[in-house]
Amino acid sequence: MNKTGFVLAALAASLMSTAVYADDINIKIGVLNDRSGLYADLSGEGSVIAARMAVEDFGAAEKGINVEIVSADHQNRPDVASTVARQWYDEEDVDVIVDVPTSSAALAVNELSAERGKVFLVSGAATSDLTGPACNATTIHWTYDTWALANGTGSAMVEQGGDTWFFLTADYAFGHALERDTSAVVEAAGGEVVGTVRHPFPGQDFSSFLLQAQASGASVIGLANAGGDTTNSIMQAAEFGITQAGQALAGLLVFITDVNALGLETAQGLVLTESFYWDLNEGTREWSERFAEELGTGNMPTMVQAGVYSSVLHYLKAVEETGSKDAEEVVAAMKEMPTDDPLFGPGEVRQDGRKIHDLYLFRVKTPEESEGPWDYYETLSTIPAAQAFRPMEDGNCPLVQ
Amino acid sequence: MFELLGITPQALFGQLLLGLINGSFYAMLSLGLAIIFGLLNIINFTHGAQYMLGAFVTWALLHYFGLSYWWALPLAPLIVGASGIVIEKLFISRLYHLDHLYGLLLTFGLALIIQGVLRNNFGISGLPYSIPPQLSGGQNLGFMFLPNYRAWIILVSVIVCFGTWFVIEKTRLGAYLRAATENPTLTGAFGLNVPLMITLTYGFGVALAALAGVLAAPIYSLNPNMGAELIIVVFAVVVIGGMGSILGAIVTGFGLGLVEGLTRVFYPEGSAVVIFVIMAIVLLIKPAGLFGRTA
Amino acid sequence: MAEAALKVQGTDVATPLLKVSNLEGWYGESHVLHGIDFEVRPGEVVTLLGRNGAGKTTTMKALMGILTKRKGSVVFDGHETIGLPARAIAKLGMGYVPEERGIFSSLSVEENLMLPPRVKPGGLSLDQIFELFPNIKERLSSQGTKLSGGEQQMLAIGRILRTGANLLLLDEPTEGLAPVIVQQIGATIARLKAEGFTIVLVEQNFHFASSVADRHYVVEQGKVIDTIQNAELEANIDKLHAYLGV
Repeated sequence: MNKTGFVLAALAASLMSTAVYADDINIKIGVLNDRSGLYADLSGEGSVIAARMAVEDFGAAEKGINVEIVSADHQNRPDVASTVARQWYDEEDVDVIVDVPTSSAALAVNELSAERGKVFLVSGAATSDLTGPACNATTIHWTYDTWALANGTGSAMVEQGGDTWFFLTADYAFGHALERDTSAVVEAAGGEVVGTVRHPFPGQDFSSFLLQAQASGASVIGLANAGGDTTNSIMQAAEFGITQAGQALAGLLVFITDVNALGLETAQGLVLTESFYWDLNEGTREWSERFAEELGTGNMPTMVQAGVYSSVLHYLKAVEETGSKDAEEVVAAMKEMPTDDPLFGPGEVRQDGRKIHDLYLFRVKTPEESEGPWDYYETLSTIPAAQAFRPMEDGNCPLVQ
Repeated sequence: MFELLGITPQALFGQLLLGLINGSFYAMLSLGLAIIFGLLNIINFTHGAQYMLGAFVTWALLHYFGLSYWWALPLAPLIVGASGIVIEKLFISRLYHLDHLYGLLLTFGLALIIQGVLRNNFGISGLPYSIPPQLSGGQNLGFMFLPNYRAWIILVSVIVCFGTWFVIEKTRLGAYLRAATENPTLTGAFGLNVPLMITLTYGFGVALAALAGVLAAPIYSLNPNMGAELIIVVFAVVVIGGMGSILGAIVTGFGLGLVEGLTRVFYPEGSAVVIFVIMAIVLLIKPAGLFGRTA
Repeated sequence: MAEAALKVQGTDVATPLLKVSNLEGWYGESHVLHGIDFEVRPGEVVTLLGRNGAGKTTTMKALMGILTKRKGSVVFDGHETIGLPARAIAKLGMGYVPEERGIFSSLSVEENLMLPPRVKPGGLSLDQIFELFPNIKERLSSQGTKLSGGEQQMLAIGRILRTGANLLLLDEPTEGLAPVIVQQIGATIARLKAEGFTIVLVEQNFHFASSVADRHYVVEQGKVIDTIQNAELEANIDKLHAYLGV
């Protein structure tokens, strides 16, 4: 835009805004996630759509909040993530970064957000360190975390008699955190961890590691990995007759897109923990159908994408409430106001940045039980919000000590 | 001795067998790359995407036309090989008079385009494809449970690799190819149609990649990135074996599968890099590769 | 061979088998042939003589179509070949024995021998080739480049004789060979001529050339600057020495 054009536009904009609201707020949201790699289906463009739906459903424009959404691909690499985040914060006036799957990338953005005093709403990443040692006053961890998954799936498996565990762990921050949190849950419940193998990320052939797990004689093989690594592990465990021989697989982080990729034939019976499922109730169904229509790939939303929607919605409420976009002020309001939306139901944001809500223990249906496309889960139990997440005092978060 | 290393002999045999299975893929893919490099002097960066296309065509044949795995086994390599011929005719053939770098950039770009288009249409999580019923189940070998399908992979790979080696080293057609590889100008001056041989060779190399893709479809996550992850390792295999060496590609492919398998047992964290470490060592000691002819 | 011989008799001797007119050629941007003119009638042996770098080998490559950037006219056996690729020219019956013989190291002797496809009927049978070059028969399974220089030269000539080509382009067949081998090659060329083959020979060694050729074309700076009939060689020997700088 040339200079005159810019001035005119600014003038027009200011005239318009003074006509409607005295103090229009311009918000720029950056959706930073994997748009091409193994987490692209569970976050990717779907998360951008979810953010846009939140802005529309909130009616931001009518409330005098002008929201612009930008997005970028971090390729699951911490260095790329922090380069993009720096560019966004320093040069493009981005106010809030959302999503960011891949724990190592999220930790990098978390650190930068703390330095720059910007809001960071994590949905995609799993590591519970984000509300533990790495917690930050302007970071909120929204959808799930490794402790919650471990607690949900881990204790359910031990209860069913799976008291010896062998871990297949993705060799990076997320896998380590998930393994650590699950081990703690297993041991607290009286179980024992008999071995661990750390595999390169991302991997393709897991048969070698699975055979080591089999040789260990553990009753449960815990998959502390995600995405394609998990689906490959599950497929190959079936192929090598490991599940048939009596060892149980615990998919510690399984998304609905993974179940879709596996097919019910392979995935049936898998027990998993999620905070969202499209077919939970009327509210989730209505939203998910709108989402699926927008996305247009036939996929239903994942909990990560639902979390992006929910977090952006709550953020905008806080902006409206405070009439400001100052990071500390807005986050303080977010922690003060209770959360409520059709996707996660009532909940709250704790002082350590942990957003809490109910979690669900699901079992993957058999092909016979499934009544149509994406009818995948049967709810085994609901873990109430108060018990679903790590107690604040156990997290070693400096903010609350 | 085995106990000293913390592993039983049974487990070791199991791991070696698994390494051989992975080596089967390395061997088939690096063989195609080596043949293409030999005659075209082009490092075919599209190879991984073509492997992935083989798997996708396998899926598509079932999904859209109801054609089983056994149909896909010949059809997918033919279809993908034909697409390779089109690519060679339309694009690659225009680059022979330019520096190798252009061929590399072209094939790399094509790979990104193919992956991007499929990612847009099919997403990244992968498509389900089952092991054909005739090959499901497995054998208990005492030291491990060997799925029949994995045994099938080794069988097909050994036959295809040996067959290709035999044709190239022992037949009249192979003599033409070797002559065209060594001195295309003179071979053409004898009346042989070298451009046609180049086109068909590219098609064949691509078909080999696609065949590996068909074999992979039922056991690996079938997604647009499946080739991109594998191909880097395969390039290292070709470099270790010696660029353009047929026998080198086959032997190194199986051999490195074994080495990688052992690393997975003794130092799993290093299994992703062990091949590259070997590559670095080989390049230092024998820059032409283990089986490379020094010019 | 009967056919080839018949053909020689049946053709009007005045009609050249190969007629080269104003042939120009380039290596990339560098202009190396500046208008070559010469002709060869069926059954003749002619040589291109000249100093190093005069353009003799380049002329051979241009005839064969290996040098692709060329213009002018090369009519072979009634066909204009300037626009044709090398493989099409080979199929018209032009057989090429390149400088330094062009034996393939990745092929065995037998594979080298069998490599060029037959382009016309009337090529020599393997037995006839082994009769000409008995050494080759014993070394069939060796690697091509393990042969001695002389054997390689025989292999290079032998594999062309198989194809039925009736015009042979021999580029310095005697280069680097022992005198006794040179003699053997000379005898072979004489015999091929007797059997009706038409031959274009590039030579530095004009003593050898004079023993086999009907006519000599002197090439200098990419042009044919003189033509000497072999019968007049003695009379022109001083002039030739001057051309060749000996």
